[in-house]
Amino acid sequence: MLDHILSILIFFPALAGVMGFMIDKNSIRSYGVAVAAVEFGLSLWLWFAFDNSVSGMQFMEHMALIPSFGINYILGVDGISLFIIILAAFFTMIGIASLTDTKDVKNMIITLLFLQMTMIGVFAALDAIVFYVFWELSLVPMLYIIGAWGGPLRIYASVKFFLYTFTGSLVMLVGMLFMAYFFYQATGVWSFAILDWYRLILPESFQLWLFAAFFVGFAIKVPMFPFHTWLPYAHGQAPTIGSVILAAILLKMGTYAFIRFSLPLFPDASVYFMYPIAIISIIMIIYTAMVAYAQKDVKQVVAYSSVSHMGVIILGTFALNVEGISGSVFLMIAHGVVSGALFLLVGVIYDRRHTKMMDQFGGLAHVMPKYATIFGIMMMASVGMPLTINFVGEFLSLLGFYQQSHMLTLLAGMAIVVGAIYMLAAYKKMFFGEVTKEENRNLPDVNKRELIALVPLVLITVWLGIYPKPVLGPINNSVESVVQLMHNKATSEEAKMRIPNVSGVVISKTSAKEAH
Amino acid sequence: MLSPINVSLESLNLMTLTPMLIPFVGALLILVVDLFKSNLHRSLYVVLSILFLVLDFGALLDSAGIFAKDGITLGVFNVMLIDGLAILSQFIIVATSMLFIPLALTNKRFHEFSYPEFFALFLFMVGGFQFMVASDNLILIFVGLETASLALYTLIAMHNRDKSFEAAIKYFTMGALAAGFYSFGSMVLYALTGSVEINQIATILSANGYADIGFVLVGVTFLLASFAFKLSIVPFHTWTPDVYEGSSAAMAGYMSIVPKIAAFVVAMRLFEFLIHANVVWLEVVLYTFVVVTMTAANVWALVQSDVKRMLAYSSISHAGFVMAAILIGTTQSNSALFLYWILFSFTNLGSFSMLWISRQKELPGYQKTDHSFDKFSGMIKTSPMAAIIMAIFMLSLAGLPPFALFWGKIYMISAAVTGGYTVLALIMALNSAIAGYYYIKLIVYMFMKDPIEDNINNDGSLYVANATTALKSIIGFAIIGTIFAFLAVDPLLEFVTSFVYNSGY
Repeated sequence: MLDHILSILIFFPALAGVMGFMIDKNSIRSYGVAVAAVEFGLSLWLWFAFDNSVSGMQFMEHMALIPSFGINYILGVDGISLFIIILAAFFTMIGIASLTDTKDVKNMIITLLFLQMTMIGVFAALDAIVFYVFWELSLVPMLYIIGAWGGPLRIYASVKFFLYTFTGSLVMLVGMLFMAYFFYQATGVWSFAILDWYRLILPESFQLWLFAAFFVGFAIKVPMFPFHTWLPYAHGQAPTIGSVILAAILLKMGTYAFIRFSLPLFPDASVYFMYPIAIISIIMIIYTAMVAYAQKDVKQVVAYSSVSHMGVIILGTFALNVEGISGSVFLMIAHGVVSGALFLLVGVIYDRRHTKMMDQFGGLAHVMPKYATIFGIMMMASVGMPLTINFVGEFLSLLGFYQQSHMLTLLAGMAIVVGAIYMLAAYKKMFFGEVTKEENRNLPDVNKRELIALVPLVLITVWLGIYPKPVLGPINNSVESVVQLMHNKATSEEAKMRIPNVSGVVISKTSAKEAH
Repeated sequence: MLSPINVSLESLNLMTLTPMLIPFVGALLILVVDLFKSNLHRSLYVVLSILFLVLDFGALLDSAGIFAKDGITLGVFNVMLIDGLAILSQFIIVATSMLFIPLALTNKRFHEFSYPEFFALFLFMVGGFQFMVASDNLILIFVGLETASLALYTLIAMHNRDKSFEAAIKYFTMGALAAGFYSFGSMVLYALTGSVEINQIATILSANGYADIGFVLVGVTFLLASFAFKLSIVPFHTWTPDVYEGSSAAMAGYMSIVPKIAAFVVAMRLFEFLIHANVVWLEVVLYTFVVVTMTAANVWALVQSDVKRMLAYSSISHAGFVMAAILIGTTQSNSALFLYWILFSFTNLGSFSMLWISRQKELPGYQKTDHSFDKFSGMIKTSPMAAIIMAIFMLSLAGLPPFALFWGKIYMISAAVTGGYTVLALIMALNSAIAGYYYIKLIVYMFMKDPIEDNINNDGSLYVANATTALKSIIGFAIIGTIFAFLAVDPLLEFVTSFVYNSGY
């Protein structure tokens, strides 16, 4: 069974989704939770069976799909994708478990199960076209979730989300077709397998163009400044569950794809574009933090803070060394947990008050102490307080980039300061002071269902903040092989210099360990 | 004194005519049946037509076998040309016809299907298209084209609504103009080379090094215009939306597939030798046609308020997309054309059939046209299965993986990439994004809007008003083809590529 565990992980929720049509409306919620729990159990099993000492791909599966055009169904996980897969399974589970009263709940749960299939497929695919299939397919359930259960502007927001991402991905598709063509020219065989592509060394001029084509697709998904405008709309209009999945998993597809495709395929171009991208990320970090400060709607604050954190992830990725990339992968997990939790928390108060405007709240700490505590912990994690999960990732990302540029890292470090400002300000407006609004006086505190979703997240936040090794170890291991591959493939002098040679693995390993 | 012409029967190779003659015989038989006993039920004619199409398909399999063994066959004074293109396109024509004809078995009674002439004309049309694609001779192509077109005009007019007459007349007028262009263009080429065989023309032109390039261009311009009419290439597309709107949804779906593949094959035969001879002017014109057709049709489709008109513009855009294959002119692009069209025929016939089963005889007040977007508001609430099927067809048309058309699309874009048309590849990709909007628009109506007020007591029966088992099975067939296309792409691709390659394209 372990030979096909990835296929099972991908298609089990989809199959369950199809079967879900037969289930009665009143029982569908338990069905969804059960399926998602089984899926999560399978993903934990994957972790258990995962060999931490191997840096390459594990649980590989291979099946011919369109062999005459080089398209094959190839799956596999390494330390980079493993934890995102677990995270996806986990968030689908708690997302369904914490689902509040929703109209057409059956459609919602079936859609979520399909969404889960596409999410896991993206992170497990090792063939560019299979990757693209899941990448594109993930838009459809999200379109439906935002468009059918969202706020008043939901249709605008969902269509904008869809078209923006769709356009970017099509440019990326042209890039993929070019990449396959170059591979064909070099070897005489068509292939879309990523591991085959890794072996191809392209001249720098080709790399630049292909990097740009892939960049458009990924940058829109991340979303990077200035392509981020779809995200606040999507978050603002989406129902809680939509925002949670979007922030926790879907955004990670872009950053993950940078590490899976852009860096190892185009090492010279990555070095060439390192500074421009770093500057974009810093603009992203600081600008969106300032925008977040100006928001009146607490969900928008969290949404913009997401963009800001994605900037740190991109910065870490483009540090192009082991610390930076490991840090950014870890921060993807961390940001998934923290922002997912924050969106859940916003959902909790929205369910009670049907508003997300911060001026409608105030003094909630008196009324809902448990809620205020959890919100406080998560907010601190989001700010990047030491001993929380975000700190490890942010610190490593910045440490990585420090080796490339001191000044830019200093600027990026501002993010933590600015982040603290808007987060604390938002917290103050919502929770401190006197209860000013009469409606807020008798709000019930978090109930059992919400606690089931929130408490595990708090535990993970603290656990991985104090002891990140179980996760960071495998990540580090796989990232080392990626960096080594980049170093070997790099052709220009500058790239050879910028991308460290990890054959002296010991040095960078200790530095990563010192970091926490 | 004239000496008697001595031609041995074997040298005529009459076997090459078999696939075309079968539908003609079928048509005549239907007329004969009607002569003996009239007022028979339409199901009889439907089944008879299907039987003859099955025979036709069998004959095609036979000629495919001969082609695979012996290569290109000529017959009947070298007028017939049975090569890979001819066989592939006939497969598409006959298979689509087989899927189309059961759509006549609707729940509601429609005028045209009660006439046996409808089915006879239909079979004549199929035979006409088959002649058109299986010849290298400009005159026989013309005869085939006109046989098919005249039958098609009549079929549209038989739908018996005001708009149908308008559509038929419009189509007829435009078709007549195109026919004029075609004959004039052929005449110029004949005057230049003294031959009406395309391969002869190509040989003679390249032998004299395109000395009369000016005249060649005049001839080609007229031919190009006539095919642009048939393929609804912008700016010769103006008839298309009106004709589609006037004909029944099923017929519109059929028209977006079969006449176009026939025209594509002839265009491939005619223009590719010129492209390969580096006639830059033609390349520029085709490039412009491709880009303008894709983009403009997409933009027009954005603003339609009727689903059928939207699909009409979308099929113009698809034709423009596929026209790129002729511009690129490599084996890969020509194979991509066939692959794309096979996958497109499934999806498009399916989506038009979905409109066809929801066709009402009387329009309620809030609905201005047969298939306005409003009609589909909130469809997921009342008939979820139908809404999901329709959505999958739309996503496939938009080129979303893993549905059928995606595979055609990437193969075509890849052909552009390999052919060195980088910018074109990007334009093709971005056009898919524009197209995404209007396909999503229908999904937005079906899944995200609430049913409109006047329609509130709608229990979903509206969307399947016209459905029968026959129609449902056709749709089931189309949806399975659309979803599981990825399993069929590999064998299809190998089949198509070997046929195209062995015909020298």
